[in-house]
Formats: sequence, structure tokens, C-alpha cells
Amino acid sequence: MIQPPDANPETTQTGPTITPAGRTQDVGRTAREIITRAGPLIALILLSIYLSLATPYFLSVSNLTNVVRQSSITAILAVGQTLVIISSGIDLSVGAIAALSSCVAAVLMTQQIHVGGATIGPVNFWMGLPIALLVGLLAGAFNGFIITRARIPDFIATLGTLAIFRGVALLITDGLPIPSHLTATELKGYLPAEMIWMGSEDLLGIPVAGWIALLVVVIGWFILRYTSLGRSVYAVGGNREAARVSGINIDRTKLIVYAISGITAAIGGFVLAGRLNSANALMAEEENLRSIAAVVIGGSNLFGGEGGVFGSLIGALIMGVLGNGMNLLNLSAFWQRIIQGVVIILVVVFDQWRRRRFILRR
Amino acid sequence: MTATAERRPLLRMEQIDKNFPGVHALDHVDFDLHAGEVHVLLGENGAGKSTLVKIISGSLPRDSGRIFIDGHEIDGLNPELSKQLGIGMVYQELSLVPALSVAENIFLGQLPHNRLGVVDWPEIHAKARESLAILGVEIDPQQEVRNLNVGEQQLTEIARVLTKNPKILLLDEPTSALSDTERERLFEIIGRLRERGVGIIYISHHLAEVPLVGQRVTVLRDGRSIGTLPVDQADRDTLIGMMVGRQLAEQYPKVAALVGETALRVEDLTVLDQLHGLSCEVHQGEILGIFGLMGAGQAEFARALFGLLPIAGGQVYINHQPVHIHHPADAIKHGLGLLTRDRREGLVPLLSIPPNITLAGLSQTPFYKRMSLRSETETAQEYIEDLHIVPPSIERPVMYLSGGNQQKVVLARWLFSESKILIFDEPTRGIDVGAKAEVFALMNRLTQRGAAIIMISSEMPEILAMADRILVMRAGRFTAEFQTGEATQEKLLQSAS
Repeated sequence: MIQPPDANPETTQTGPTITPAGRTQDVGRTAREIITRAGPLIALILLSIYLSLATPYFLSVSNLTNVVRQSSITAILAVGQTLVIISSGIDLSVGAIAALSSCVAAVLMTQQIHVGGATIGPVNFWMGLPIALLVGLLAGAFNGFIITRARIPDFIATLGTLAIFRGVALLITDGLPIPSHLTATELKGYLPAEMIWMGSEDLLGIPVAGWIALLVVVIGWFILRYTSLGRSVYAVGGNREAARVSGINIDRTKLIVYAISGITAAIGGFVLAGRLNSANALMAEEENLRSIAAVVIGGSNLFGGEGGVFGSLIGALIMGVLGNGMNLLNLSAFWQRIIQGVVIILVVVFDQWRRRRFILRR
Repeated sequence: MTATAERRPLLRMEQIDKNFPGVHALDHVDFDLHAGEVHVLLGENGAGKSTLVKIISGSLPRDSGRIFIDGHEIDGLNPELSKQLGIGMVYQELSLVPALSVAENIFLGQLPHNRLGVVDWPEIHAKARESLAILGVEIDPQQEVRNLNVGEQQLTEIARVLTKNPKILLLDEPTSALSDTERERLFEIIGRLRERGVGIIYISHHLAEVPLVGQRVTVLRDGRSIGTLPVDQADRDTLIGMMVGRQLAEQYPKVAALVGETALRVEDLTVLDQLHGLSCEVHQGEILGIFGLMGAGQAEFARALFGLLPIAGGQVYINHQPVHIHHPADAIKHGLGLLTRDRREGLVPLLSIPPNITLAGLSQTPFYKRMSLRSETETAQEYIEDLHIVPPSIERPVMYLSGGNQQKVVLARWLFSESKILIFDEPTRGIDVGAKAEVFALMNRLTQRGAAIIMISSEMPEILAMADRILVMRAGRFTAEFQTGEATQEKLLQSAS
């Protein structure tokens, strides 16, 4: 029986080196732990093996590249979501932030804006990217601000801002894709080539989006494992009272975590717009569910205090492979949604079950 | 009742064995309980007491061993079955729902209905009032549990279990949060239950309670049953010897340190409705004891000093400099450390020992600051050895440690942060004799290094032994001050009540 005693590699924060004290642990427990920690990876491998047997197209280079490209966006959003979930929050607005930030950037990069007497833009990629990130940061910080100042539950606050951000994105785009064939004139041009490169091209045989996801994951891992902020995130999510008594500024920690989630959402949105060759106010709609699913499948505790970004990366790949596999097997998009929903519920049920077993053993 | 039925134990456990990963929690333990008996279960933290009662209450499965209730062997014991068999358990950690009323908590899961299937509130409140009256406590049944103090919560919990008329009652440290009068009341109730033929297993750390409440006592150590004695043969030294495996030469190894400069001075500290114009000072190398009955304001004093309660007035000086503490981060910056009375406020259970030790340092570093995990692990390694934290694992979450060892981890935190002024709020609450002695030894070491300690305690023997000076609190005010040697238990009680 798989009986996971611990959660995740990142939780213990002391790395894989075997300390002298570690030797006292019995071998059976260590073996179980390895199985647990590798659980998501094993699931990913089994799923891939099944699909490569079930359909000849799965293992083709073009298909795998496509899977990576799709999963990358989920993975990027999931990094911020991981931090939020470990701090025992949840961010339902990541998809909306992705849409809003890339819409703002896309409008500025493709259109001339008249403010008072002055005319701005269209700006180039090197202005557009920071602007998108800044919008993401501000939107995320706004989430954090509402949650900590108004003391509203995280999911209600981000549910509200989800609607707000989508609404603002609709306002500034007039509900049209940017650029669209309706508006593409000489003055309202196309998205910069660099942005399309980020979303659609390859580098060294791997999609650029994949490299970006990897970079974001490594940065997320570094923050969680090595910085004072990362440790505070685990402490706040693991025991709020203890964090408070230890002097940790809980509100500031949450604010920063939501701001980071806003930034990763903006990066994900930017890459997605590059892939779609256009930004629109309703894009990335599935990414809320997918990013949360990736984090939970990756082994982070939905109630905070434990987890890590590498697990979420695997979780994102699982979601990507699952979606791709269902496409290859000609499952209708409607069914795909249902199955994705079922998967996330089952994962949480399994997670709760193993945690209950584990707490009873005290 | 026939003679044979009387001899047949209500509960018999044979060769109960239980393993947790890396720990042999119960090693073939035999135990029995007769009707109308209070059987005290003694042992250090991590000795296996709670594990044993959890097996009886069905919340933990056993690995092997047999359980007989009324002579019938019981196979798969689970919480549901144990309830049906008339086993009631009062947990050490409170299991009440804070947002519900006292009455709702008492009848949780069995709310009486009227004929329309609607909850019968008048009935519930009347019944709840009645069951609280049996305990002799005046708690409004419609009050929300979160507004009660810990002692009242514990009594509510006991009332809840008693409404189910248990045949076997398991009490896991029921007096740890009770005042003296409440404790006496509980003992009376235990006596009455005993007359009715209820068998009671009573877990305690208070050696002094053993002869007051029990008929027999069993000592557990490291998961083994060391022996069972009738209470008249179980004097204090014998029990301590059985519990720790050695006779403790001295339980309170007070070593006087050189008393130096004033480390902390408090002038007219006021917290709205709770603390009224408190003034005191504590010097380097000194242990200032603060004694008071439950709810006298000691805990609030500690929390106000540490920035956890807003201060309405007064001034705090550290090393003669006025300081303003609005948040624990300010307190830590000024060299204060707080050992909270509730350990759950001290530790992050899912994290391992090293990050728990360095936790207080986080607020003093910028959030982007890189941490050295290697030096953190080395530091933790040192404290684990120095403070004898067992099991000495660097990687396991601290939730697996016993109470005493968890307390040592929190102590290591304040040792590591080199706090100069330490506030110990009930430092020995819920920990065993051996760990107590270690905590006291550590306090000596701290004062010898020049630290000032404020020791808040309601245990008179330990405060009399350890403190250089004792302030007595009542209703948010200091009512008396004693130098070491001047104070006696009688004097302390007189000033406190």
C-alpha cells in the first residue's frame, strides 16, 4: 500500500543529503517516503506510457512539443499559485490577471493612445513586457491588499477581483481580440515578433515557453527554499499564531505572495497571448482550475504549510498530458472539462484521506 | 453484583503493542481497570499514555494485543464501537467547536428534536444547564465556547462526555487548565461516578494528585509498563523513580546567578479592562516570578509586553531606554523572547526542527534575504544534542515530537536568538518531571549568561524554588512582592485570592 507519511521534498527544507540523524530512520519509512514524493512523477510516467500505447501520435516530437507548450502556461501560473496555497490562501483571479495584463500590454503595443494632448505608443516589446508584469504585480497586490486590510476570506476576495479584472479587460479591449482583423490597420498593428517568439517558437528543440516555465519554477523554488520570505510563507500557512508570536508580519507576507502570483499570472498571460498571436479579455479562462489542480496534484497541502513548486510543475505536465491525451483519443471538449473537474476532486479526496491517516498516528 | 463479576475487570488489555514510524510507542503493555476504580496512568511525555487511551477510545488501531471489555474480547475497536460500549473520553487537546454555544457543544451530534423534527432549543438549554450544574459550574449554556476561558472549556468538555453516561471514562490530563476550586469539584464528581461503578482511567502529570484521586497507579516509561501499585504504596519518590528510571536528586536545581543591571522596567502598564497600572523591574541574571490564580492577568501581562496585546498606557524601558513595542517583531528586536503557555502557538507543526528554531530570526531579516540552510542545520544539530531532543531527527516535522521535546525546540529558538529578556509563561505546563528539571536547568544557564527571566507560573512549588523575587497578581494588579525565602505557599495564596 502506498502510505505517504510526509508530503513533499520542499517541505522539510533540508535537502536530500542524509544527515547523521537521518540514519536512525528505518529503511521502510524511507522507501515509502520516496514513493510518496515521487508519486506525481510516477503518475505522469504511467499516464504517458498508457497514451503512447493507446495512440501512435502521442510520442511524436510535434505532439510532445505541443504538450510542453500547453503545460508551460499552466506551470508558470502554478508557481505563484503554489506560494499562495502554501501560505494557506487561494488565488481564483490568476486567469483574469493573465488576461488583463496581456490585454493592457497588447493594446499599448498595437495602438496609439491619446491622453489629453499627448499621443502614446504603440510601444515596443521591451516596454510592453514590463508593463504587463507591472499590471500583474499591481493586480496581485490589490488582491493581497483587500484580503489583509478588509479581512475577507481569500477565495471571496479573489472571486470578486476575478470579475473586476475581467471587466476592466473587456472595457479596455471593447470586448474585441487585440489585434483583431477588424481593428488591424496601419495604426493598429500586430503584436511584436518577440512576443510571438515567446509563445510559439522553439529554442534548442524545446519551446521557448518551456524554458520560461522552467526559469519561473527555479526562481519559485529558490524563493521558497532559500529566502526569508519563503520560510515565512511556510510558517504563516503552517501555523498563523506561531508565525505571529515569532514576529513574522503575516499581512506583509500575504501581500507579497499575492503580488508574486500576479506577476507569474502576467508572465503566463503574456506567453499565452504570444502563442495565440492575440490577446483578449476572456482568454486563460481555464487556467484558474488548471493552476490550482497542478498545485494540488503536485502534493501541496490545500490548507497550507507544505508543498513545493517542482511538484506543481509535474502537476501542470499531468494536466497538459491529460488534456492532450483526451484530444488524441477524440474526446469532446465538453467531456474534457468534466474529466478535469473530476480529477481535481479525486486528487483532493485522496490527499485528505492520506493526511487523515497520517494525523491519527500521532 | 456477584463476587465473580466484581473480580472480573471492566477492562482488560493484554500485550498491547503499537509502533509509529521510528518509535515503539507501546511495547506489549498489560493494563486493567475495575468498576468503581480510578486507575491513574503516569509517565513522562512520550511514555505512551495518550497512545494507550487512544487505543481504548478506538481512535488509534493497535498493532497487536487483546482487549476485553466485561470479559468479552473486542476485536476491531473504532470510535463508534467504543462509544456503544460505554467508553467516554475527554481529550487533552480540547475538541470543542469554538463558534457554537456551550449547549450545542454538549449535545453535538445528538441534539434532541421535538415531534416536528425541529431542534428543541428550550430542552437543550435546560438539559445543558442541568449537566453543568452537576459539575457545579456556572456557565451560561447559550454562551459561545470561544468566549470561555480554558478552564471553563475543559469543564464543558467533561460535561459533554458525562451526558453519555459512560461506563469507562478516560480523562487525559483533565486538570491542566483548572483552578484549584474547579479541580476539587472535579474530584468530587469523580468520587460520585466511582460510587456508581464507573471505571476511570486518569492521566496526569501532577504527582500530588495521585493519592487524592486514584486507587491504583500504573507507570509507563518508553512505551513499557514499569509497574502497577496501589496508591498507599506509591509515594512520591517511588513514582518519580519509576517514571524517570532514576531518583531525581533535586527536582528544582536552582543556581543563583549574579544579579546585574536593570534589564527591563515597566511603568504603569495598562491594558484596557485587563491590566491596571503594572510597574515592576527585572535585572540581568534574575528570575522574577509572577504568581496568580487563573485569569489574574499574568498571561495578558506577557502578551502586552511582547506586543501581542495593544497597550493603553504606560512605558516600558529596556536597558534604561524607553521602547515602543507594537508587534512581536519589535519585541524580538529589543531582545525579548516569549515561551507561550499554549505550545500550539509556538511551533509550526509541519516544519522540521531547524526552521522552527530559526523562526524568530525571520522578522529581523529582509524578506529577500538568502538563508544558509547548512548553518541552520548545524545550529539545530547543536541544540538537539545540547537539549537532548529526542528523536534527534533533522528532517521530521516537529508534530511528531512529544510535548516536552516540542517545548525544548521553542526554548532552543530563544537561546538561538540570544534573547536577553525571556518571558516564560507556564514553562512546565503539560510536560513531565524529567523535562521540567531540564527546563529549570536551562533557566539557570540563561541567568548565568546574564539573561533576565520573567517566570509566570501557577505551580507554587516551582515558583518558590526557582524565582529570586515573586510578584503576586490579582485582577490585573500586582498585590504583593516577596524576596526569595520570604514567600511561602500560604502567603502567595493569601495575596492572590
